Amino acid sequence: MSELSDLLGDVVEGVDALLLFSPSGSAYDRFADAELPVVVVAPENTVDATNFVELPVEFPDLRERIRFGVEGAIEQGLVEDDQQLACAAKVFGDDIDSVTRVRTSGFERSGVYNLFVNSRAEPGVIRDVLEVTIELGKKGQKGKQVGALFVVGDAGKVMNKSRPLSYNPFEKSHVHVGDPIVNVMLKEFSRLDGAFVISDSGKIVSAYRYLEPSAEGVDIPKGLGARHMAAGAITRDTNAVAIVLSESDGLVRAFQGGELILELDPEDY
Amino acid sequence: MLPQVTLRDVLRAVTELLTDEFELFLAVLVLITGVFLGYGITRLLRGLMERIGVPDVVEGTPFERGINRVGLTTVGLVSRLSGLFVVAVAVVLALRLVGLFTAELFVAQLVDYLPNLFIAALVLIVGLILGDKAELATSERLRSVKLPEVTLVPTLVKFSIFYVAFLVALAQLGVMVAALLVLLGAYSFGVFFLGGLAFKDMLSSAAAGVYLLLTEPYTIGDEVGIDGRRGIVQEIDVFVTRIESDGEEHVVPNRHVFQEGIVRVRAE
Repeated sequence: MSELSDLLGDVVEGVDALLLFSPSGSAYDRFADAELPVVVVAPENTVDATNFVELPVEFPDLRERIRFGVEGAIEQGLVEDDQQLACAAKVFGDDIDSVTRVRTSGFERSGVYNLFVNSRAEPGVIRDVLEVTIELGKKGQKGKQVGALFVVGDAGKVMNKSRPLSYNPFEKSHVHVGDPIVNVMLKEFSRLDGAFVISDSGKIVSAYRYLEPSAEGVDIPKGLGARHMAAGAITRDTNAVAIVLSESDGLVRAFQGGELILELDPEDY
Repeated sequence: MLPQVTLRDVLRAVTELLTDEFELFLAVLVLITGVFLGYGITRLLRGLMERIGVPDVVEGTPFERGINRVGLTTVGLVSRLSGLFVVAVAVVLALRLVGLFTAELFVAQLVDYLPNLFIAALVLIVGLILGDKAELATSERLRSVKLPEVTLVPTLVKFSIFYVAFLVALAQLGVMVAALLVLLGAYSFGVFFLGGLAFKDMLSSAAAGVYLLLTEPYTIGDEVGIDGRRGIVQEIDVFVTRIESDGEEHVVPNRHVFQEGIVRVRAE
């Protein structure tokens, strides 16, 4: 059995910090008094950890989850550049069952942490829009695949860089993403063409918006259609974040600053 | 040899009971009815309260947990108390009928006191549960406020309700509560008047904000001028309007919108 312990020992040998993903109270307590700096990454700080990175979405894909945790820890200054990190997370079970090793310097940053924390809109709003989009992707796929485009934050500027395609159904309404009624309206959402504009605080300002940003210099992966191009372009022209549900491949993508930041498959949730 | 009990004897006894000892007969009848009625009301109330979901509402409150420890439940306590009250009234009525109470004035007064006692107990139970519930609800509302001192507010709400319930119960019992009422008056004066004074600006902003949200004279994306500051509206909430121009964000209280008026800049 010593070979097995060696295997794990090689993985965690000489790490500078430990990232615990959604640990239980007892799992955290075991490491809390250790010399090794411990960072907890979880949706809620249930264990009262001093070093804590809030996870807005429980990414089912471990790579995304670890990427978010590591980027968050770097941005918050909890870990240094050029350090070796051990990441302990749960993949299959309800307890932590996997350990990986990440090097912060060679780590390619995607900006997923900045997408949530350093954008104009509140992190909770972006999470809610992401959840709505994922839900729409799941529901749409049962019958016919649908596409959607949500532009979140900097709504005043976005409204001035777009024009209405039809009457705005959200005029004089005060619906916020995250309200229970939004889930009921999901099916209706898929019928509306154009973009949804959502303000910093989460109010749905308008639907049926035709975005008119200048698409110059927007670099998005080839093969994506006009909706993604519009999303990338509007985030380059304004401080908004765009969340897109693709009609062709059913994936949810998030753009910020004209770049593709995040790609999720709704089927995983 | 046992004396033969004939039908005539029975008849005579019954007649005697119905004429000479009629009051005694009535008293026994009232007593029996009272016991059955009390039992029936206990069952009925328990069923009714269970059907409208009282156990779910009171579950987890400190009061319920407290009396659970002595083997009772809130529903059981209230229904049993009601049943007991009915039985007690029946007993008193029966004793009155037999003529036991006329002489002793003190006991008679004590008996008149019974309904007050019952209502006071009921008010106290409802007050205790309501206070705990209100504390829970307020702390739930304030959960997003990450300020340690904020835990004081739910406690304050709880004890305010306890105090009022206690006061009502005492008044029901006929205790002099004038001094306690003065205390309540001073307390509510502090909370409402001084609180209103402190929140004056916020309240007037909120009143203006309600109008702005309902009628939407300007919406997100419009270019407006308020107070000499021009820019694009980014956000309207109940208290403030956020206007942004060239990287500067003005947070304007909504009462300014009403005091100064707004300029809407229409696109040419």
